[in-house]
Amino acid sequence: MSRDEVLKALSKPSPYGPDVDLNRFNIGEPETPSLDTPGVEKIADRLGIGSWVFKKADYLQVNESIVARSMSEKLAKYGAIVLPTYEALKKLNWVSNYSWRLIEPARDKYVAATHLYGRELGFFIYVPPGVKVREPIYTCLFITKRGYAQLLHNIVVVDDGAELNLVTGCGVPDQPIGSLHVGISEYYVGRGAKLTYTMIHAWAPDMVVRPRTVAEVRESGEYVSYYVIYSPVESLQTYPRVILRENARATLNSVVVGGGRSIYDVGSAIVLSGAGSSGEVLSRNLGRENSAIYARSRIEGAAGPSRGHIECLGLIEGSEAQIESLPEISSSTPEAVLTHEAAIGKISEELISYLMSKGFAEDEARSAIIKGFLSIEEPKLPPQIMEVVRRTIEYIASRATG
Amino acid sequence: MRNIDVAAGSRTILSNINLKIGYRELHVLVGPNGSGKTSLLNAVVGIKPYEVVNGRVFLMGEDVTRDPPHVKARKGVVLAYQLPPAVKGVVAGRFAEELARRFEVKKSYVDMLSEILEVGRLMDRYLFDKMSGGERKRLETFLTLLTKPKIALLDEPDSGVDVDSLNTISSALKAVLDFGTSILLVTHSLHMIKLLRDYVNTIHIVYGGTLLMSGLYDEIVPLVEKHGFSGLALRFSRGGTP
Repeated sequence: MSRDEVLKALSKPSPYGPDVDLNRFNIGEPETPSLDTPGVEKIADRLGIGSWVFKKADYLQVNESIVARSMSEKLAKYGAIVLPTYEALKKLNWVSNYSWRLIEPARDKYVAATHLYGRELGFFIYVPPGVKVREPIYTCLFITKRGYAQLLHNIVVVDDGAELNLVTGCGVPDQPIGSLHVGISEYYVGRGAKLTYTMIHAWAPDMVVRPRTVAEVRESGEYVSYYVIYSPVESLQTYPRVILRENARATLNSVVVGGGRSIYDVGSAIVLSGAGSSGEVLSRNLGRENSAIYARSRIEGAAGPSRGHIECLGLIEGSEAQIESLPEISSSTPEAVLTHEAAIGKISEELISYLMSKGFAEDEARSAIIKGFLSIEEPKLPPQIMEVVRRTIEYIASRATG
Repeated sequence: MRNIDVAAGSRTILSNINLKIGYRELHVLVGPNGSGKTSLLNAVVGIKPYEVVNGRVFLMGEDVTRDPPHVKARKGVVLAYQLPPAVKGVVAGRFAEELARRFEVKKSYVDMLSEILEVGRLMDRYLFDKMSGGERKRLETFLTLLTKPKIALLDEPDSGVDVDSLNTISSALKAVLDFGTSILLVTHSLHMIKLLRDYVNTIHIVYGGTLLMSGLYDEIVPLVEKHGFSGLALRFSRGGTP
């Protein structure tokens, strides 16, 4: 694709979410990496990860500066690689085979801007064939600068038969910041390999967030994602897409907790492109205050036999919030079995009464119900990651009722 | 319960109910479907839309009539629902632990009830979600009794359960009576009453929105078996005695 085509795409809006003028944001120059940036510790706490991650993170980027990158002994022993993407592209010739292959640079203005001006900041992770990295790898992408565009390109390659548990926390301090975060993520899961990917977002009411993710899962591979966003944003739009080859599996979980006057346009799409593939999309959406949530989900049956299921549930608290649930199932083969269920409602008075009859005050009952609603148990996630998710959900539930 | 009238909105359901239940006593409220038994329990606890519109509810001499449900529960008046709702996402075991913590109940007591009610294998399930009738009743009885209430209000723990679950639940009731809980048991069948025969203090018959009569097991059960609830009501309405 020519540079001109990508330049032209700088004015191409995304088909989803509100269009944003990119001229609002500055692209920064690298500065002296430091963890002393005010607010950084708070971000880690907001993400439920805790500040211990500063010592343990395998990749930590604040604004455009890479503050920490570890090639810990455990990873080196395995032959696994964690590098900034630009460095991986420079040092390892073969990495270019994975760069900008799943996501077209001219897809929309956010992707084009990242391709043109992002300087390949972001993380690259490689796990060699058959290597199972049990301990989670943590990557953190923080913003502390006002009016700034953080444009990232992440590449993850889990080679045949390998396993990786990746946790990414993205956030800003809990204060106005008026910045943009774009994360372009290309994930390659090899034959019989497994990638679990947990992403937790904590933004501010004036943040614009546009992640773009595509994962390709080769034969008999597995991809499990768990996405949590619970803070207000100006607008957040993402529609990750997972392509499954023969006998590959995917489960995409998302928890969206709306607040303020935010717009969340959050989707999940699975393409069943191989015989024997199966996918599931589970989403929980809690609309509060004046927020609007567009919960998109799509499963395409392109090869059979294959199975797909969408479960999209919404809960509205207060009269001003809005949820639109948009499940789509589409098939070009009679051998794909695709189903969906979607429901939107309010907190059941019967449940509140029940919990009150067991000694819970009304606000405690509401909090317990919200916590239960948002808790998607994902047995395929390692327990320590599920614990991070649980802590975050508890934090959300305790604040949801004031 | 002193001179209680129960209403749901503008509709009066029960009038002039008087019940006095002593320490470690088991009282049974029987009556046909729709006679107001469940409404009475809900009103006493304060579950909307049911309401005590006249009269007073006392717990060990304290007027608790206007206390909200959670305050009553914390004081020791705990209701077991007839049809407890499924609470997705809330794991039964964690919920039980939370109740035990809040009510400061020893683990040994919880374990004893869990064993009697055979709920151990339900502990990693979501509360009442996709459970059979017997599982739901046993779990709801367990969660109610583990709070070690001063008085447990049990709304038809016997409806829709098999014989084994019925025996199990009856055993649990006997056990908690020994540990100092009083019970008001609502049922519309005599089967469970018979299982608890040696423990029953008083049986009350509710019919047509009022308390028709109260008496000992040997007085009430034979009459109900002979005449049925409606037959008994008919005899009363004619001014006679049963």
